[in-house]
Amino acid sequence: MFQKMRVLLLSLVAIMLLAACGGSKEEKGADAPVRDTLIVAQGADAKSLDPHNTNDQPSSRVSAQIYDRLVEADLSMNIVPGLAESWEQPDDLTTVFTLRQGVKFHNGEELKASDVKFTLDRMVSSPTVHHIIQAVDSVNVVDDYTVEVKTKEPFGALLNHLSHTAASILNEKAVTESGDNYGQNPVGTGPYAFVKWDAGDKVTLVANDVYFKGAPTIKNVIFRNITEGTNRTIGLETGEVDIAYDIEPIDKGAIIDNSDLTLTEEPSLSMAYLGFNMKKEPFTNQKVREAISHAVKIDDIIEAVLMGAGVEANSPIGPMVFGHNPNVKAPTYDVEKAKALLAEAGFPNGFKTSIWTNDNPVRVQICQILQAQLKEIGIDMTIDIVEWGAYLDGTARGDHDMFILGWVSVTGDADYGLYALFHSSTQGGAGNRSFYGNPRVDELLDTAKSSTNPEERLELYGEIQELLQEELPVRTLYYQTQNAGMQNDVEGFNLHPAGHHKIYGVSIVK
Amino acid sequence: MHKYILKRLLLLVPVLLGVSFLVFTIMSFTPGDPAQLILGESAPVEAVAALRTEMGLDDNFFVQYARFVGKAVTGDFGRSYTSGREVFGEIFARFPNTLILAVVGVIIAVLIGIPVGIISATRQYSLLDSTSMILALLGVSMPNFWLGLMLILTFSVGLGVLPSGGFNGLKSIILPAITLGTGAAAIITRMTRSSMLEVIRQDYIRTARAKGLGEKKVVNKHALKNALIPVITVVGLQFGYLLGGAVLTETVYSWPGVGRLMVEAIRQKDTPTVLAAVVFLAAAFSVVNLLVDIMYAYVDPRIKSQYK
Repeated sequence: MFQKMRVLLLSLVAIMLLAACGGSKEEKGADAPVRDTLIVAQGADAKSLDPHNTNDQPSSRVSAQIYDRLVEADLSMNIVPGLAESWEQPDDLTTVFTLRQGVKFHNGEELKASDVKFTLDRMVSSPTVHHIIQAVDSVNVVDDYTVEVKTKEPFGALLNHLSHTAASILNEKAVTESGDNYGQNPVGTGPYAFVKWDAGDKVTLVANDVYFKGAPTIKNVIFRNITEGTNRTIGLETGEVDIAYDIEPIDKGAIIDNSDLTLTEEPSLSMAYLGFNMKKEPFTNQKVREAISHAVKIDDIIEAVLMGAGVEANSPIGPMVFGHNPNVKAPTYDVEKAKALLAEAGFPNGFKTSIWTNDNPVRVQICQILQAQLKEIGIDMTIDIVEWGAYLDGTARGDHDMFILGWVSVTGDADYGLYALFHSSTQGGAGNRSFYGNPRVDELLDTAKSSTNPEERLELYGEIQELLQEELPVRTLYYQTQNAGMQNDVEGFNLHPAGHHKIYGVSIVK
Repeated sequence: MHKYILKRLLLLVPVLLGVSFLVFTIMSFTPGDPAQLILGESAPVEAVAALRTEMGLDDNFFVQYARFVGKAVTGDFGRSYTSGREVFGEIFARFPNTLILAVVGVIIAVLIGIPVGIISATRQYSLLDSTSMILALLGVSMPNFWLGLMLILTFSVGLGVLPSGGFNGLKSIILPAITLGTGAAAIITRMTRSSMLEVIRQDYIRTARAKGLGEKKVVNKHALKNALIPVITVVGLQFGYLLGGAVLTETVYSWPGVGRLMVEAIRQKDTPTVLAAVVFLAAAFSVVNLLVDIMYAYVDPRIKSQYK
C-alpha cells in the first residue's frame, strides 16, 4: 500500500517539477542580470496597456515606453513636439497639427492622421479617460499627415492634456483587430515594443530599432511587479533588479549607504492636503479652519513620516505646474495664534472631531501626528481609517469631518490641479470633497480654463491661489518628492515629474 | 467506489453555487462602488452613473447573479472590471503558480512532519522529542511574512544563492515553499506524534511485539497505518489552507499566484475576478477533500467497505 502511495507522491512531484521547468521563463542566472536587459521593479502590476482602459500609474509607467503622444512634456513640464512636429492655432478653438512622416508602429503600419482621429475619438467614448479629452469637440483629418482638433470652448491647457499618457496615439488597425484583448496586445510607435506579459509577474518589452528618434541603447526592458517596498530594495541589493521605483522612506538609507547603488530624488506633481468638510459645523467657520491650519507643523510630518522626502506646500499646485504662484504663503505654524482664533470662533476649549483617511500607511501616520498637533490647541480628533472604496463613497456624500487626501496635477497645468478640487460644480465625488463653493473662485477658474493667453491665465490662477490660502477649504501639507534606486552602472535615467519615467535614453555602462 | 466518487463530484455543484452566492452577496453589499473605483478620485457623478449602467450594476441583484451563473456554466466568467482581461484566462494562468507552491509546500511539510512526528512518538520524552516539539511550536508561531523576509535576507542577500522573488524557474520555488511548508510541517509533526502515541499504546501493538516482530515493522507497518488517518485529514486541510491562504507569502516573494490576485480584486471590488477566484479555490479544495476521503479508503479497510 505504501509503495503505491510513494509512487503516487513521487510522480506528482515529478509532474509538478516538469511543469515548473516547462512553464518557467527563460531567465538564466536570475541573480546576475544579462547586461542587454534592464530590469525595472515597481510596486504593482500594470492593469492594462490600453491607455483608454485605465489611468493608473503602474500601467502608465509601462505604456509610456510603448507609445508616443502628439506632444510631450519634457522633464521641466514644458511642451515639446512629439509625433506632431509642429502645430498652429488659426483661431481660439482650433489647433492644426502636422505629423511627422515615416513614423512606423510596431506592427509596421505607418502613422497617419486617421490613427490620430481614431485615437482621440476613442478617448472621448472611454468612461475612464473621457475627462482628459473633455474639452475637445471634434477631430478632423485634413490630409494624411495633418489633423485639426477643435475644442468646444477655448481651452488653454489643450496641449498639456494631449501630452498625458491617456492621449497616447494608437494604431487603428491594431486596435480593431485585437478587439477586447487590445489591452494585452498593445501596439505603439514608442521606443519599446511589447513582447509578452506574465500576468502579475512581469511585462517584457524589446527595443524598437526603427524608432523615429533613433533606436534605444538597451535591447530589452522588463518591468517586474514587486509589491513590497522592502523587497524592491532587496532586489537592488542582490542585483536582480537594475532600477526600483518608489523606495520606502525606511529603505533609503540602505541604498545611500550601499556603494553599488544610487538613490535619485526629484520633485513630483503630487500634493498632499488636509481637507475640511465645509458643509459641516464647525468647519463652516473660516476662523476654525484658520486655527487648525496654524496648529499644523509640516516639518514634523516631512521629517518623521516622509524621512525628508517632501517640501512644504504653499499652494495646491506645485512649482512645476503651470500657474503656480510662488508668492502665496501657507499658514505659519503658530500655536498661540491658533488658540486665539479658536477662542474668537467660539471654541475656547476646543471641540471633538474626526479625520478620515484610507488605509495607506503614510496617511495614517500623518493623521497620528496631526492628532497630536491639534491636541495642543484643544481639539480632540479621532482617526477613522476607512477602506478605499468606502472612503471614496463616504467623502463623495460628505459623511466626513476632516479628511486627508492627495492630488496629482498630471497634466502640469493649473486647470487640472485646481478645477476639480475647488469648483462648486465638482462638489462631492468629482473631486471637491471640501464642498467648497466661492462664486468668485468659480468665475476665475472658468475664465482661466477657456483662456488661451498664458499671461492672463497666470494672473487669474495667481489670484485663485491667494483666495484659497485665505479661505482655506483645505490646508495644503506638502509636495511629494519621488525617488528611484538603481545600480551604479545605470546611466541616463531621469525621474519625470509626472511619474512615468522614460527608459529611452538609459544605458548600462560596461 | 466509483459511484461514491461520482456522487461527491455531483455534490460540487451545490457547494460552488452556495459559495458563489455568498461571495456575490458580500461583494454587492459592502461599501465601495466598482465604477467609482475605476474612475478614481475625480469622477463626475454622471460619468460614474453612466459606467454603472454600462457595467450592468444597476440591475436587480438576483438578475445580476443569474447572469453570472448563466455565463459561468459556459466557462465565461466575464472580464475583470479593472484590467478588462478575461477573468477565466487570467486565473487559469496564475492558478498553476499557486498550485505548485501549495503542492511543494505540503510535500516539504509531510517529508519533515511525518518522520519527525514518528520519531518523537517512539522516543517520547527524549531530547529529540523535546527539541522537535519546541521547533514545532516555533514553526507554528512564526509569521509567514517574517520567516519569508528572514529567508530572503539569509539566502538572497547574504549568500546570494537563491532569487528574492518572482517566478523564474525552479530556484524560485525553494524559499516560498519552505516558508509555507514550515507552519504546515509543525502542525503535521504534532498531529503525527499525538496520533502515534495513542496507537502505540493499543493492545494489538503489544501483541505484535510479543509475537516477536521487529520494532521497525511494528512501527512502520502496523502503528503508522492506523495513526495516519487523522494525519491525512490534517494534511488535506493544510493543503486547502495553503491554496487559499498563501497571500502573505505570495506578497513577500512577489509570487504571481491567485492569492494576491484575489486580495487586489477584493480591494477594487472587481467582482468577476473575486467570484471566479473563489469558485476555483472552492472547487480545488473540494477536490482535495475528495482525494483525502479516497485515501482513507486505502488506509482503512473499514472505511473502504462503507464506500461500496
